[in-house]
Amino acid sequence: MAAKGLSRAKEVCSQRPAVAKGATARGKKVIGYPCVYVPLELLAALDIVPYRLYGEMREPVTEADRVLPASFCPIMRSCLDCALKGRHDFLDGVITIHSSDPQEKTARIWQSYTTLPYFHFVDMPGTTRPEAVDYFASQLKGLVTTLESLSGKKLSADNITKAINAYNHQRSLVQSLFELTRPSPPLLTGTEIVQVIKAVMSLPVDEGNQLLTEVIEEAKARKQKSEAQRARLLLWGSTTDDAEVMAVLESNANVVFLEDCGGYRPYRGKVSTAGDALTALARHYLTEITCARTFIQNVAAPTKKDYHKDLHARYGYLKSVITDWKVDGVVLLLVRYCDPFAFEVPAVKDYFASLGVPATYIEYDYTEGSLAPMRTRVEAFLETIG
Amino acid sequence: MAEGVHLGDLFFAGIDIGSTMTKAVIINAEGNIAAAIKGPTGAEHRHLANDVMLKALDGAGLKLEDVACIIATGYGRFNVPFADEHITELSCHAKGVCHLFPGARTVVDIGGQDAKCLKVREGRLIDFAMNDKCAAGTGRFLELTAQSLGIKVEDLAALSEKATSPVEISNMCTIFAQQEVVMHLSQGKRIEDIIAGLHRALAERVAALARRLGVEPEVVLTGGVAKNAGMVLAMGQSLDCELLVPEEPLLTGALGAALLARERTIRLLAEGKPLERKPRRLEKATFYS
Repeated sequence: MAAKGLSRAKEVCSQRPAVAKGATARGKKVIGYPCVYVPLELLAALDIVPYRLYGEMREPVTEADRVLPASFCPIMRSCLDCALKGRHDFLDGVITIHSSDPQEKTARIWQSYTTLPYFHFVDMPGTTRPEAVDYFASQLKGLVTTLESLSGKKLSADNITKAINAYNHQRSLVQSLFELTRPSPPLLTGTEIVQVIKAVMSLPVDEGNQLLTEVIEEAKARKQKSEAQRARLLLWGSTTDDAEVMAVLESNANVVFLEDCGGYRPYRGKVSTAGDALTALARHYLTEITCARTFIQNVAAPTKKDYHKDLHARYGYLKSVITDWKVDGVVLLLVRYCDPFAFEVPAVKDYFASLGVPATYIEYDYTEGSLAPMRTRVEAFLETIG
Repeated sequence: MAEGVHLGDLFFAGIDIGSTMTKAVIINAEGNIAAAIKGPTGAEHRHLANDVMLKALDGAGLKLEDVACIIATGYGRFNVPFADEHITELSCHAKGVCHLFPGARTVVDIGGQDAKCLKVREGRLIDFAMNDKCAAGTGRFLELTAQSLGIKVEDLAALSEKATSPVEISNMCTIFAQQEVVMHLSQGKRIEDIIAGLHRALAERVAALARRLGVEPEVVLTGGVAKNAGMVLAMGQSLDCELLVPEEPLLTGALGAALLARERTIRLLAEGKPLERKPRRLEKATFYS
């Protein structure tokens, strides 16, 4: 464990299962989750280690093809493929959530075709209305019940507050991490950030916070390079889990902001510590995580619509990102069949156009073979804004 | 201007390694073409950008040293070890097309393995859309379906002219479209009508790509598929506008690359910077596995 900071992040990414098995060996329960809508505070409070499940872009999908239709989210397909190949057998269980239909539809297959001791599917509403928050809180209560029986521990005011504080600290650390991409040139590359976030999502919260603290220190100590000015890009999409994808985007540019679930999105805001913890978690996760799958509308009553607030919550918040991070161009990057985000592309692209920021939409099929065409598209885009 | 260097003495080259064809163009200081050649890329030849370059040099009666700058483009652009710079085929096509048609606003390029639509202005690429990783909507679609009809790609245009009622090809998957072709044949449809149907299907697919960007005249059609008059007709019908086609629709990318090489050199000379004539040798790509 000699490695620290960025080299530690790289090390963790290259041996994620081994890192998780280490926690298992120390007597901890480790639960996998593919989507950042799962409130990790509930796991941490019960001394369970959350472990983000990713697909494996370089692993040909073979097993999942036996059980899944063809036109289907390649990331969930790959996650399930890894599960069916026994790659997650060290886990004590998996939690999936109804953030997208592929997750809901694979839940049963996951349960039927793997032998994990624990599996929980969380239902989640599609809007942010008050009754939706209440419903989501009730579903989280159900999750707590099964997690309690798995861990043999009880959720208490004390342990959930501690967990919320620990993850709030993680949020503020990631927010600080992104402060380091504001200078020109940035002190951290997007490729490094993807690795750091991936490592953090593979570690217990305190270890993740330790890693983030080290990375921030390391990057702050870096000498500002006086290299030729490169274009500063904002990446908008569902999730980026592969450093090589980022390396393609960054071959002639810097990705200074990652508006996706492998970057900033899961760490926006803070969970309130006032009032009922489950309601606070439900409200935070539903409203602060700006996934395109959620219909974000602040006031539903016909006479009291707050369009400005609605626009801000949907994608208007990106306006200040563009200014604060001095963004030159936006890459809307989606994995094929990511319908919730694909439906949002025309509006978001037009919104960037209205701000006078060039944007390009690139779709890839989550295979290594898609990297070369991606490179051509990224380069061509950079040539248009260069 | 750097000492001893006269722009008028210099030549510039663009080399475009596409999925199917490799193209090279050498121009002089005025931007006039000194040599232009094309040949199949093929499995072996993608290592051999050097051969293509050599042939182009021979064609122009030049030596490698006479060329001030070489820009490589196309999907094999990284396999040209002697190039000074790599620029995507999108920017090079934009440059080449605008040189030939200064009024061009939209370019539709249908190559062997991809189709792209470009919005251009004054020689610059403004926006673009490219097809998915799929043969549908590319020259390969016509190649393969022609094969299943037992005819040559070169004959498609003449045959399609004799169509009286083109068939509907509903499936744009190249493989399934072949099956549809077989079905039409078995139903006794005329080959001419089937070919015209294929042209329409391909044109519709590419037009959908172009509509994403918005089609503004003048519209220029390039790429190998533009040599097929039947496709030019179908594409014009799908886009509901007149299409301009360069005399050599395959060469616009390489021409654009050569023009960009010329611009780069003029820029360097204007800034008083030395021309980075790195010791170039026409060797075959070794890093390509």
